[in-house]
Amino acid sequence: MFVETASFLVVRLGVSYVALPADGVRGVLTREEAGNEQAVTAAGIVYQPVDLAQRLSVVADLSGLEMRTVLYSNGRSHGAIRVEQVVRLTDVERKDCLPLPPQFQRDERNWFGGMMLYQDQLVLIVNPSWALGELADVVPASVGQAELMIAATPAAVGGSC
Amino acid sequence: MVFSVGGVKLAARTEDVGGVSPWTESIPVPSRTPFVQAMLKRGNHVMPVYDLASRLSSPVQGDLLLCLEARHLDGPMAICIDADVPSLETVDATAIRPNGRQDVETLGVVTIGGEDVAIVALQRLGRPKQDAVRS
Repeated sequence: MFVETASFLVVRLGVSYVALPADGVRGVLTREEAGNEQAVTAAGIVYQPVDLAQRLSVVADLSGLEMRTVLYSNGRSHGAIRVEQVVRLTDVERKDCLPLPPQFQRDERNWFGGMMLYQDQLVLIVNPSWALGELADVVPASVGQAELMIAATPAAVGGSC
Repeated sequence: MVFSVGGVKLAARTEDVGGVSPWTESIPVPSRTPFVQAMLKRGNHVMPVYDLASRLSSPVQGDLLLCLEARHLDGPMAICIDADVPSLETVDATAIRPNGRQDVETLGVVTIGGEDVAIVALQRLGRPKQDAVRS
């Protein structure tokens, strides 16, 4: 039987586990490989620094040995995302990706495309367009709007990725 | 059902309560929604946590805290309550009086054991007022 899956790079920022859709990952660099500059240039592409922890208001320790820089691109924008730890690359059945519950009503609806449980951890699926700065933090969407958004997508019954 | 948060007695309609169980550690979620900044995992399910204690500025009390599962209009929601085991009280609907409480959504107030107790509208906690009126 064909099972539709999605691939993610699961990373940790402080106590939060977040997943980046793997198709945008262009590389994972150690501190030495990334160098001291904020932006990283690889294969002729400049990856601008993305402080994901700060944008999510998460306290992360980026001074540890496990810190990595994830080079990420959606084809239009390119970001060097520093994370506390790269957990692993994983495939998830699309039915196991869940929407963010509608009780979350504000900017976080832009931040996360959904969530999933991975090895007993709650993992939030980051919206790459937002992470790369293509979406402003806008609209405190009312609950009604949030419900409509969810009703309009298969996410309501899983498949939020 | 009568329960307490930070030593403050509150009530909820039994039909708005999905159950009461021991509280387990919640998982913080980056969020800008007031009082909705964590989730609770129960087996293979997760539900958002509503921080009623912060909303009421009354930190929960007791060692073995409890989880009240609210049947919210948007889906189940977990609320951490005091360790005091909730009790069931039957009150006449006519005994419920309106109140002007602004700090939390209520269905009114009722006197139980000589004490005025607010009935928390669990179904619409955190919902914008215009939605609350519609519901």
